[in-house]
Amino acid sequence: MARPAAPRLLLLLPTATYRTAAFVEAARRLGVELTVASERPSAFQEANPQGLLTLDLSDPDRAAAAAVRFAATHPLAGVVGVDDDTAVVAAAIADALGLRGNPIAATRAARDKYEQRRLLAAHAVPIPRFRLHRTDEDPRVVAAQTVYPCVLKPLRLAASRGVIRADSPPAFVEAFERLRRILAEPDAAACGEPARRLLVEEFIPGDEYALEGLLVEGELRMLALFDKPDPLNGPFFEETIYVTPSRLAADAQRAVAACAARAAAALGLRTGPVHAELRVNQHGPWLIELAARPIGGRCSAALRFAVGDAWASGRGGDDEACASLEEVIIQHAIGRTLPMLTRERRASGVLMLPVPRAGVLQEVRGIEGARAVPLVEAVAITAHPGQTLVPWPEGARYPGFVFARGETPEAVTAALREAQDRLEFVIG
Amino acid sequence: MSASDLRITAEPIDVGRCKFVVSEPVHAGGVRRFASPDEATGSPLAEAIFAIPGAQVAEVIVSGNLVTVVKRSPAPWQVVGKAVGQAIRAALAAERPAVAPKAAAPSPATDDDALYERVADLFDTQVNPMVARHGGRVELIDVQDAVVMVRMAGGCQGCGMADVTLRQGIEAMLQQHVPEVKGVVDITDHAAGANPYFAAAKK
Repeated sequence: MARPAAPRLLLLLPTATYRTAAFVEAARRLGVELTVASERPSAFQEANPQGLLTLDLSDPDRAAAAAVRFAATHPLAGVVGVDDDTAVVAAAIADALGLRGNPIAATRAARDKYEQRRLLAAHAVPIPRFRLHRTDEDPRVVAAQTVYPCVLKPLRLAASRGVIRADSPPAFVEAFERLRRILAEPDAAACGEPARRLLVEEFIPGDEYALEGLLVEGELRMLALFDKPDPLNGPFFEETIYVTPSRLAADAQRAVAACAARAAAALGLRTGPVHAELRVNQHGPWLIELAARPIGGRCSAALRFAVGDAWASGRGGDDEACASLEEVIIQHAIGRTLPMLTRERRASGVLMLPVPRAGVLQEVRGIEGARAVPLVEAVAITAHPGQTLVPWPEGARYPGFVFARGETPEAVTAALREAQDRLEFVIG
Repeated sequence: MSASDLRITAEPIDVGRCKFVVSEPVHAGGVRRFASPDEATGSPLAEAIFAIPGAQVAEVIVSGNLVTVVKRSPAPWQVVGKAVGQAIRAALAAERPAVAPKAAAPSPATDDDALYERVADLFDTQVNPMVARHGGRVELIDVQDAVVMVRMAGGCQGCGMADVTLRQGIEAMLQQHVPEVKGVVDITDHAAGANPYFAAAKK
């Protein structure tokens, strides 16, 4: 009897993503046939036309048409995007091929900070008050109309690039002009009209949390809630430590999850990964951002899920059979039924290494010492010697990541901080 | 160099695989791969790594100053890595070679030797001309037990799409042209790549 063919997944991987290894290895572990689509051709595309595809990831309709042609000879069981832009492309392809996916409009709304806020406000999701402005407006006029403290944000850029807090009219004018320069940079300007607009929104005080979730038939399953132990009060909003499980009280965690679920529903999202940023203060949770994609950077390595014997094979922490976040996402995308997903028992955290200052990276010292810190499992330096490091708010590339696991979130956080103290970036 | 001067850097790839970069050569005679404790007999370093309690080591690959360990145990590298480091230090401090030379082939051409020739030809005629378009190079290090060991250089070293090149490119071509190959192991030190063709940039 002929062995049934393994399902084929179309994985949309922009060439600038950090997530290649995690998704490619997840597909291998699951025995899924993989087609990787990027916006630029692989050197091997002619040699492996069923495994490699070039798609215009800036044009979802065009990409979907090309995917339909591809699927005529290589049937697809699922499609996964890994960032905000490819989430839209994945939705278009899923729609064209009848695969599991989100409505295209929902992913577009999740990608655009203004459209997202407009829908969230219309559905009474608690969010900061906001106003949309054009970059060619006079910042002094806008400053006079603004309530302080406020936060200026671009509509499309990732990783808090261009996000600046202003506490006064002079600071606002300076921030406005700085953001205008960022939006004029070629890679930012390439997104067209959204690069000529910016958001000004109320600054919400409080502790910040990151929720990682999976939408299954419209229902949000919270996979993990990360605390962010370092205050994010600006003026810039570069991330540092994420640690889970959260120390937030159980009822407050439920309120956070409910807030994120309402937000996802308000945008019209129904399936696949969700990453949400929320703040919590005496008024309860506030939705700051919600994206139709998994957690960014290399951070997903901080998550493992106990899945029993269903499709794990002894990987993971302690004595649990664990799966990665990417395995969960792929299994869901190709239509397989998911078991109960429980995060591993141990606390886990990731430190996104900050850019110490602008300049050309010469070397990173102390890596061995950082790896030797008890509970630290990995130190991944992703910047390479000779790379120009750009601090926030102009920059958006973390030079590396540190991962730790331990019995408590406090111990994990302390280990991450100690590892950071041992690292030295030599910048010329 | 004394044992105390020896520097060993652990670079976990994932929960099952970790590279250990040693500040001096561990084995100068090409690549040695050990897939079982039996195969490690006669090579003190590999014997010691397979004997690490609770690690369930499945594979040890030694090449130059690089030791790659594959384990089945979910024990963190934080713990297992220290034992591997001790094994490396002890093996290099001993008078015997840490790794025995590869045994001479019992016949003029073993299967691995024949595979090596075919894989080398594929790399010369197809793989490297393809990656050269991206300023890259893929070096065939060895073939052991039908597992191909490669090292990437140039634009491939540290490239954000290196895993796609390895799995969707090189491995797929090997499956098509040399189907006897059972797997591909990348022993590249990607962190040292100074000129990657694609650099990760987005969150």
